Amino acid sequence: MKNIIKIVFASIILVLGLAACQQFEDVATIDKVTPLESTVSLSLDLGNAPTPSQFNVKFTNYADRFELSKVISPNGSIVVDGLIPGIYTVTVSAEMAAEGFTYNYSGSLVNQKIVTDNSSLSINVQASKSGALVFKEVFYCGSRTPTGGSYFRDQFYEIYNNSENVVNVRGLAIALLNPNTATANLPVWPGDDAANFVYATAIWQVPDDKDYPVNPGESIIIAQMADDHKKSNLNPSSPVNLLSAEFETYVNTTSIISDNPAINMYMAFWPTKMPQWLTTVFGGVFVIYFPTEVINANNYVTPIGSATKCYKIPIVDVIDALELIGNPNQINLKRMPTTLDAGAATVGGTYLTKSVARKVKETKNGRVILYDTNNSTNDFEVMDVPTIRRYGAVAPSWNTWK
Amino acid sequence: MRKIKYTYMVGASLLTLFITQRAVAQDAAIKQTSPASIELLKAGSLWMNSTNGAGLVLDNLSYFSDIKFTYGIKDGDYKLNQEGEKERLFGVSSEGGLKLGKGYAWGGFAYSNEAQRGTLFNTAIIDPQRGMPYYPIDPNKSDWMKQTYDLSMKVATRPFWDKVILGAQADYMTKVGAKQIDPRSEVYYYRINVKPSAIVILGNHNIGVNFEYQNSIETSGTINSDGQVNQPVFVLRGLGNGYEATVGGLQSLGDFIYTGNKAGGALQYSYSVNNLKFLASGNYTYGVEDVISSPTKPKKEGAIVENVIEGKLVALKTGDNIHRLELSYRTENLDGIEYVQELDNTYEVQSWVVVYSSIRSNYKEQEMSFKYDFFRGADHDYNWRAGVSAQYKKNDDIYYMPESTEMIKNLFLGVNGKYNFSLCKNCNILIGANLVYKNNLDGEYNYGGAEPDSYIITDFMTPDFKYMKSSYTKIGGDISYFTKISKTGKAGMFIKAAVDYYKPSDRDDNRIQSSLSLGFTF
Repeated sequence: MKNIIKIVFASIILVLGLAACQQFEDVATIDKVTPLESTVSLSLDLGNAPTPSQFNVKFTNYADRFELSKVISPNGSIVVDGLIPGIYTVTVSAEMAAEGFTYNYSGSLVNQKIVTDNSSLSINVQASKSGALVFKEVFYCGSRTPTGGSYFRDQFYEIYNNSENVVNVRGLAIALLNPNTATANLPVWPGDDAANFVYATAIWQVPDDKDYPVNPGESIIIAQMADDHKKSNLNPSSPVNLLSAEFETYVNTTSIISDNPAINMYMAFWPTKMPQWLTTVFGGVFVIYFPTEVINANNYVTPIGSATKCYKIPIVDVIDALELIGNPNQINLKRMPTTLDAGAATVGGTYLTKSVARKVKETKNGRVILYDTNNSTNDFEVMDVPTIRRYGAVAPSWNTWK
Repeated sequence: MRKIKYTYMVGASLLTLFITQRAVAQDAAIKQTSPASIELLKAGSLWMNSTNGAGLVLDNLSYFSDIKFTYGIKDGDYKLNQEGEKERLFGVSSEGGLKLGKGYAWGGFAYSNEAQRGTLFNTAIIDPQRGMPYYPIDPNKSDWMKQTYDLSMKVATRPFWDKVILGAQADYMTKVGAKQIDPRSEVYYYRINVKPSAIVILGNHNIGVNFEYQNSIETSGTINSDGQVNQPVFVLRGLGNGYEATVGGLQSLGDFIYTGNKAGGALQYSYSVNNLKFLASGNYTYGVEDVISSPTKPKKEGAIVENVIEGKLVALKTGDNIHRLELSYRTENLDGIEYVQELDNTYEVQSWVVVYSSIRSNYKEQEMSFKYDFFRGADHDYNWRAGVSAQYKKNDDIYYMPESTEMIKNLFLGVNGKYNFSLCKNCNILIGANLVYKNNLDGEYNYGGAEPDSYIITDFMTPDFKYMKSSYTKIGGDISYFTKISKTGKAGMFIKAAVDYYKPSDRDDNRIQSSLSLGFTF
């Protein structure tokens, strides 16, 4: 018996000792951190766009909340030093006015490991004219009721004509992309060309029944439910009355939901239907685009290892994109390709009665022009009171119920 | 789980009492023990406070034992943020030692239940002052409820061949705590420390050696009772650096698990001639503690590597009176390791992979101390005692990139005394007083991180630094009444009241700590 006790005791000590040895060995060769250098060069793919004289390069290490910016010439390279070893998002941007257009230049590397000294980074830069239609303001996080409950039916998406030309939004689609919320577990998509698409879990379309022209400086409101949300049976604490919205994502009438004056959008793709189109209050990822062919809901795809039905949208068709996240820390969980949105916007929580709105860049001939650099972190700001048609935006003339 | 803890507590108490009752039965000629006699017993021992359990035999200790119930409160704003505005502690502790033939055994048990009211900036670690830089904090003022169980033992064999003594020392501690406001947490901590030891006797010279191994685990999980409101937290990485996270909703902060191992050893040398004794000792320990979050998809939050070197010299002169002198030096060097990780998102894998690791911070602490105590009358109880002490302590911390530094040098000077008034044949009153002056010699905190205006720096790091840098005067006093409670046995009882008052030199706040104890000796 004594021998058994000795053996058991010795075995416990041995196991613990081996565990300790392994732990000691794991840290034995770790040295003090040293700053790193990295060389950045650009690969320009500007098409017919003019070449700006310089580009801004920004290194962002979200884990360490560390940022470093430099300026680079189009055909040169720069050595960036003082980098903390880590995972970086490296963005290149520039803006240039020429030939009556505003050109945006962007390129990026996401989740770029910089853990060795003297690394070389080559960033492909593309040019685009500033989009005509942009997300102007999005209220996604919901609001609190007077008794502290959660209310989410007052979500809205305002889309603004930021150009100097009339745009017809007939057939315009708004899509919520997969995954619904920020996560480190990004879905893996099948196919060699998977990176050329974004994948929607729901798509709503402006009806293709007639023209819906939107003049420069005008905006359209897409409401989850285009009602006066301040009504006593809804949420008197809601910040918005959406009766003047142009469109709503109406599904069917319930004791709460009614068919309002707004034009009902067409449910083009939505495999998982609910009484209302509630997008996540944690912050979804949205694109607007004009489909080049009729959306056939049967042509869905699923991520590898998942049964979630999604619809492929070619990235080249996307007019504007907006990534929303639950809080600033989730910026390193980006879902949107950085060619569409190099950053993300957030109100920082749920049911805060706050919205994100695009910042004003300038006012030209009385027309407000909003920032559109394809980086929501820079382009958007948080608004304490969600408001439709902020900055004097006007409803289209065909909206007779406004 | 609770049943096991109670069984453990009751069992340990009964064991201690059982041991001490046996001791009384074994040696009826021994005089009655009192708190003062236990103090004297320990002051006259060289090895009792060393890390070598085998040395107990050389101290030639007699039996002693006590059990004590303590109720303590702390109140006042002169404190660290993470301490409670008010704290209440109820504790039971017991210790006892007895001869086992020519060997010796000592055992101790302590239980405490602590309520900390109005703490700040600690979301999920049971002891934020234990030197771990990686843990989440939040700005919500909250109560903490904590319980601690601590079981210790030392044992020494008889001298084999009059030359070799074998011994061992072990300590098993568990703590459990819960934060009471969202984001709330439940924390479990366990630690076991064993020190096998041996001593070789060479006439008046004794050479000792002991090895040390320690294993510890702390786990904490955070939740919100109000699922509608997510709570922001900040995961510290040292000197105010870190990252923001959220408790609640999707991507909620995962559980934190701390796993530590420590190994080391010590050498001792003692020499005695007539009534003079010396003990010189030196120890070294090396420890590593890993921190991971979200154990189902483990992500390394960091690790610490700790090197501790200690040296100590104790000189003792016994006789009619006892003179005890202690000189000690301790240096601790702690490296904070951080990892760069990327998620391998391959469907079959989906785990965090370390792509780079480095030492991102370093924490150094140096202590030098001097202590002299004199006990007048060394028969059984002392008549009075007096002591002086001085301690120099320097902390020098750095976070390398982006660079932040914190340095503090403090000098502590103290005097203390106690007088033992005999009221009757079997009762006495012990009245003590102590004075400590903390003089800050230097101090500087420079934060070079991303957000110098965040609440982490303005409300947490900076006020705590000012607290640590401040000079203060502590005035303390205690009074205890002891009486025999058995006509035939050796049992005694004591009641003790103690107060410590802290008054900083350059601030208006203060802190009072007071306690009332009821104890029994056997």
